[in-house]
Amino acid sequence: MAKYPFNILKSLIPTKITQNQINIYIIIAVIIGFATVPFFIDVDTSYFAYYLFLTFLFIVIAQGWNIVAGYAGQISLCQNSFFGLGAYTTGLIWLYDVTKTGYYFDPVVMLLSGLVPVILAIIVGIPLLSRLRGDYFALGTLGVQFTVTVLMLKGGAFTRGADGLHLPSVAFESMLPYYWVGLLLALFAVAVVYFINRSNIGLALKAIREDETSAASRGVHVLQYKVFAFAVGASLTGIAGSLYGIYLFHINPDSVMNLNWLFYPILMCVLGGNGTIMGPIIGAFALAALLSYGDVYLLETHPILSGLIIILVMKFMPTGIIGLKDKILSRR
Amino acid sequence: MLEVNGIDVFYGDAQALWDVSLSVEEGAIVALVGSNGAGKTTLLKTISGLIHARRGEILLSGKSLSNLKPQEIVGRGIIHVPEGRRLFSSLTVLENLKLGAYIPRARPFFTESLERVFSLFPALKTRIDYKAGSLSGGEQQMLAIARGIMAQPKLLMLDEPSLGLSPILVKTIFELISALNEQKTTILLVEQNINQALKIAQQAYVLKTGKIVMTGRGDELLANEEIRKAYIGERVSKR
Amino acid sequence: MGEFGIIIQVLISGILFGTMYGVAAIGLSLIFGTMRIIFFAQGTMIIFFAYICYWLFTLIGIDPYLSLILLIPISLLLGMGFYYGLFKEAAALEQKEVSLLIAIGLMWAVENIMTRVWTADPRAIVTAYTSWILRPFGINIPFTRLIALLIAVLSAIGVSLFLKRTRIGTAVRAASEDMESTTLMGINPHWVNAVTFAIGIGLAGIAGVGLATVYSFDPMYGFTFVIMSVIALALGGMGNVFGALLGGIILGLIYNLTAYFIDSTWANAICFVVFLLVLMFRPQGLFGGAAQKV
Repeated sequence: MAKYPFNILKSLIPTKITQNQINIYIIIAVIIGFATVPFFIDVDTSYFAYYLFLTFLFIVIAQGWNIVAGYAGQISLCQNSFFGLGAYTTGLIWLYDVTKTGYYFDPVVMLLSGLVPVILAIIVGIPLLSRLRGDYFALGTLGVQFTVTVLMLKGGAFTRGADGLHLPSVAFESMLPYYWVGLLLALFAVAVVYFINRSNIGLALKAIREDETSAASRGVHVLQYKVFAFAVGASLTGIAGSLYGIYLFHINPDSVMNLNWLFYPILMCVLGGNGTIMGPIIGAFALAALLSYGDVYLLETHPILSGLIIILVMKFMPTGIIGLKDKILSRR
Repeated sequence: MLEVNGIDVFYGDAQALWDVSLSVEEGAIVALVGSNGAGKTTLLKTISGLIHARRGEILLSGKSLSNLKPQEIVGRGIIHVPEGRRLFSSLTVLENLKLGAYIPRARPFFTESLERVFSLFPALKTRIDYKAGSLSGGEQQMLAIARGIMAQPKLLMLDEPSLGLSPILVKTIFELISALNEQKTTILLVEQNINQALKIAQQAYVLKTGKIVMTGRGDELLANEEIRKAYIGERVSKR
Repeated sequence: MGEFGIIIQVLISGILFGTMYGVAAIGLSLIFGTMRIIFFAQGTMIIFFAYICYWLFTLIGIDPYLSLILLIPISLLLGMGFYYGLFKEAAALEQKEVSLLIAIGLMWAVENIMTRVWTADPRAIVTAYTSWILRPFGINIPFTRLIALLIAVLSAIGVSLFLKRTRIGTAVRAASEDMESTTLMGINPHWVNAVTFAIGIGLAGIAGVGLATVYSFDPMYGFTFVIMSVIALALGGMGNVFGALLGGIILGLIYNLTAYFIDSTWANAICFVVFLLVLMFRPQGLFGGAAQKV
């Protein structure tokens, strides 16, 4: 956030208010703003509301990747597996009526949907992270992603194969709960990143990202932290998947595990600025705009345009929008 | 020949070198000594262009090296033999040497350079087709220096050539460095083995936590009380 | 032909198709060696050249194998252009995600442009010889597949000679091991990257012709193809040209055998599991050299 307006504001306000307090007020204002949007527009028909919902969803998966790649410095190419597992878990819990609570936005269901990906993350994370570095780890996660997709396809009667799970759509007729749950999850994801950033865990992760061997020689349990980051990223992504699954009502490999869910988080973080708190948020708003409005206005050429835009952005703004802002600010 | 004037070097936000200046005269051996982490390798990397100084300048024969890429600096004749040798272990001794003479300046003199290398390091001649990774520690160090020589260096910068070698090999390496210098090669020598380094150097600089704290002739510094106490310690008095 | 004969047939066709992945894997290996990224657009580039080959044949009547004379220099130049145009800045960065995303962006852009311009209908080249089948010992070997194998082996030999016998090739090998040291030899890292990239795309051109003569193809096939090539690369190991080729052949065998005995979806699954196992227990691949410096 630019410092200029604050300086002006500060000179206007008679009492002593610190930068931090102003930041907090702004954040609260923004949150209230988003929360009250449904009172001003009809959430069910407004395309803008759909855009915001998509943005909230994107924020969660972007922050998920941010933790793994931006903070811990590991490139994970299986985020879509976590997303899909979250969706499938929710779908299966509902279909088999496991929690016996019916079709509600049950926090328990969402929690479980966040837990299953964590289990996967730990099971594959420990062997992969302990043996493979950098690009090889990325390759390993790619393999995980394929395997999970195939397993979902071949899950027989359990996962219903390529057709997937169909959930009854009678449960929700309104967009409203989706919107607010989405907002809540987005805030939760940002809060997680914020607290990690401030904590000792964050320090350790950043040390590992900078120079793994020297972090290890200083007593940091590198593997534990890497797996932790991987698991947290997985759970966030899984919870997002759960929400998306509830939104779609039709959960199959093509809709929840397709490779877009792999690339989008990476794209958002690099676009906005990896390893920052605001970066993925900005990236989420940007990508959601590109996709939702691109669909409307640029329907046929939109995938080509996306590809070209990615190339151009990567070429000229590889540090993301936050990086660009930093560069501009430091020139003053 | 080489002049470093008041450079500040940063790693991200952390400052590594403060207002460092040194000069190397043609035909001399200049030693840069200091303990681990003092910034010696950082300084060499800045001279060779792998790192950029945020302030100050580096001049070779009066011409600035500031905006040059590392490969261009090599082209000007500054050859950096890095710490830990960094040989191409999957390539043969000969291939390593050939790569050493890659730049257009050095290529026409390939055969001459090769002969010079073989006369200085006869062991390499017998191992010419072996993969560099299969050589012993001492041989690898010799190959690293030899590879530097192949580039027809105006200034040869050696980063801790004696690191990890047995005392006999250390002696051999330092004899070789002196021999090189007798053949008119200008050398900037970075070393933790301060004793040996100061013995063969005409000029020396002491680097401590990123700052030059002392400079003078090699034999002067060797006799200096502070230096002896701080860096050379017990060993000398035991003799 | 008994059960045994059918299995031999399956094996042979597995080998023949696997070499396609192998050639792509060699390109991936080279690019990974110097730039440390998986060039995900490799498969799509192969499809692109397959289309060029197709159009050269359909519109102008140039025989696919002859079109190699045109396509090889074009693909080499294109590769160099791609590097300088797209990857040069990103290659200098620490963050590999940027290069990765550029490769993915390229893949998306190209495959969608191809879909727009040439439609999503599968294409195949039909010439006088595309239906020839040789029958040694009662085994069916399609002529075009055999030629594709031959081309693949020749390419591997060519690249190997380039790497071992030329000055630039030696520089590429050195850079794959230690880019910083290579820079200290006075070698421009961008030049090395560009040459490697050019060869990578050149191999895509060759594989494209091979593919065009053997299979039908559509714009979206590229990604599936590159994934299999990545597995081939992991099997064969980085840094070894013939290893990559063999990796492709072994993968082809594994796939075909599994598909024959079970079904093709399981064949995919098994390939992925093999991929994971290799990465975990033998990351340098079956034939790879020393473990890559991180």
